[in-house]
Amino acid sequence: MSEVDALVCLQKVSRVYGRGEAAAVALDEASLVIGRRSWVAIVGPSGHGKSTLLHLMGGLDRSTSGEIHLDGEELSRLSARRLAAVRARKIGFVFQFFNLLPHLTALENVQTALWFGGYASVQARRKGLDLLDQVGLADRADRLPGQLSGGQQQRVAIARALANDPDLLLLDEPTGNLDSVAEADVLDRLGTLHRQGRTLVMVTHSSAVASRAERIVGVRDGRIDSDATAEQTLLQC
Amino acid sequence: MNLGILVWRNLVRRPGRFAFTLAGVAVGIAAFVALLTLGQGLSREIRRQAQGLGANLVVTPKGWCAYEQISVLTGEQLPEAIAMTEFAKVAAVPGVRTAVPYLNQRTAFRNRPVPLIGIQPKEMQALQGWRIGAGRYFQGPDEEGVVIGAAIAQQFELKPGENFTVRGRPLPVLGVLDTTGTKDDVAAFAPLPVVQRIYETEGKISFIAVQVDDLEKTDEISLRIQEAANVAVVSDKQLVNSVLSIVGTVGAAMQAVAIVGVVAAAFGIANTLMTAVYERRREIGILQAIGGTRRTLFLGFLLESGLYGALGGLIGVGLGVLAAYWIGPSIADNPFTAALRQSPTPALDPSTIAGVLVFSIALALLAGFYPAWRAARLTPMDAIRHV
Repeated sequence: MSEVDALVCLQKVSRVYGRGEAAAVALDEASLVIGRRSWVAIVGPSGHGKSTLLHLMGGLDRSTSGEIHLDGEELSRLSARRLAAVRARKIGFVFQFFNLLPHLTALENVQTALWFGGYASVQARRKGLDLLDQVGLADRADRLPGQLSGGQQQRVAIARALANDPDLLLLDEPTGNLDSVAEADVLDRLGTLHRQGRTLVMVTHSSAVASRAERIVGVRDGRIDSDATAEQTLLQC
Repeated sequence: MNLGILVWRNLVRRPGRFAFTLAGVAVGIAAFVALLTLGQGLSREIRRQAQGLGANLVVTPKGWCAYEQISVLTGEQLPEAIAMTEFAKVAAVPGVRTAVPYLNQRTAFRNRPVPLIGIQPKEMQALQGWRIGAGRYFQGPDEEGVVIGAAIAQQFELKPGENFTVRGRPLPVLGVLDTTGTKDDVAAFAPLPVVQRIYETEGKISFIAVQVDDLEKTDEISLRIQEAANVAVVSDKQLVNSVLSIVGTVGAAMQAVAIVGVVAAAFGIANTLMTAVYERRREIGILQAIGGTRRTLFLGFLLESGLYGALGGLIGVGLGVLAAYWIGPSIADNPFTAALRQSPTPALDPSTIAGVLVFSIALALLAGFYPAWRAARLTPMDAIRHV
C-alpha cells in the first residue's frame, strides 16, 4: 500500500452509550485512515456501528475514547463553537431522509448552509442558485421540500452539503429512500463529485451501492472487520 | 438567509399556535394599557375638576371620607350636613374672601340621573365666572328655576323656557351655561333656598368652597375656620391628593391584576417555545450538522420569543387604547366618576407606550430564555436521533 495523504484518521476510537450494566458499545476501538480524494463505502448490518462511525468522523458525536483527526485537527479537543465551524466549512452531510428544513425553500436550505459558512446574503443567493443548477434544480429553487420528489430532495441535500466547498462529504444511506432511477442519478452525481476530487465517505447497507466506491470498509459488532488497506494506512496518521 | 428570516419562518409555520400565543400577549397588554390609560385619564380629570372648583379650601362636615371628597369634585349627591348657621360663622372668619355653599342633590330627569346643585347665584357667578350660552342667569337669590350645564342641555335637548322637573315639580330652564369642560357641564343649578325647599333640607348645605384673601395664610385661615365652626377643612391640594391616592390605589390594584394576565401570557410563550424546541429537535440537529452554532440556536429561539413580545405588545397597546376609548365612558358612568363622561381622549403619552413595549419585550425574552437555553444545550446527536 502506498502512502496516503490522510484527511480523516481514527485511532482506537470507541463509543459507548450509557453506563454500568446498561452500557452499550456502539464502536469498539475502531482505527481507520481515509485518504483525500477517496470514495469509501462503510458497509455492515444495521445497528453494528456504521452510522456511529460516520457521526464521529463528522464531529456530530464525541468519542468515549481514542482520537479522531480531521485535516490535522483532533476533533475531541475542539470547543463546541470550533466544531461547529469545522462542520460548516470542512464537512458536508447528506442523510438518508434528506433532512431538509421543511419550512424553507430549496434555495433557502442551501443558503442556510452558506450563511453558516460566512457568506453574505447576496453572494449566498447567487452561489445557492449556482449549486442548485449543478444538481439540475435551478427551476425548483422556490419550492418547499414537500413539493419536491425524494430524488429532488436528495439533490437539494447534496447541493447544501457542497455549499461551503467542504473537504469531506459524509453520506448516510444517501440512496436508502430513493427509487432505482433516483438512486442511479444520485450515484452518478456522487461519482462526478469524486472525479472532481472530493472525498466521499458513504454508509450503506446495499452492496450494489457500495460497489460504486473505490474502497469498502466492513463494520460488524462495532469493529472494523474488513478493510485490506487498514493496517498500512494506519501508519500514516 | 439570515437569523431574522429563519425565525420568522419558524414563527408563522404554525399560524394557529402563533395567533393564539400572540393573542395571549396582546390581550394581557391591552388590559394593562386600558387600565393604565383610564387611570391616567381619571387623574387628569380629577386635577381639572379641582381647578374648576375654584376654591382654596373646602369646608366639609367632620368625618367625611374619600367617597364624599370625590363627590365634591364630581358634583354628585352629598349628605346635607352643615347648618347654615355654621356657614355664617365660616363666612365671617377673617381672611375668608368668598364662601360659597353647595347643596348637592340628585334628581331623575326622563329616567336619567342628573346632579342638582343648590347655590347662591351671585356668589357662585363670582367664583366660577360662568358665561351664559342661551337664555339668562338667575335674577335673584330665590328665583324658581334652573340654569343647566351645556352637556345636560344637549343630552335632553332642553332649551330656555322649557321645564326641568324635580321631584314632580316643574322648574323653568332659565338659561344654559357655556361649555366649561368641568362637572358643571353635567349638572343643573338652582338657588339654594329652592333646592332646600324641594328636598326639605331647609337650613342645611353639603359643603362650602372658600377662597382666601392671602394664599400664604391658607393654613392659618383653615385653623381659624375650624376654631370658629364645628367643621373640617381641607385645602384644594389635600383634597386632590386624597382623591388621587384613592384612585391611584384602586388603579394600581387593577393594573396588578392586568400584569398577572401579561405574566400568564409570558408563560404561554414559554410553553409554545418549549413545544417548538421539542418538535424541532431534528431540525436543530440538522442546523448543527450544517454548521449552526449553539449561539445561533439560542439567539434564534430568543428572537422568536422577543417577536411575540414586540408584536403582542404593539397589538396590545392599540387594543388597549381602543378599549379605553370605547369602554372608558361606560366605566366612568358611575356615581364616583360621572363627571369624567366629558373626558375627551384617552390619556396615554409616548413614554408610557414605549415603557409598555419594553416591558412586553423584556418579559417575552425572559419567558424565552429557558426554552432557548434548552435548544442550545441539545447535542447534534440528541437532535438527530429524535424522529
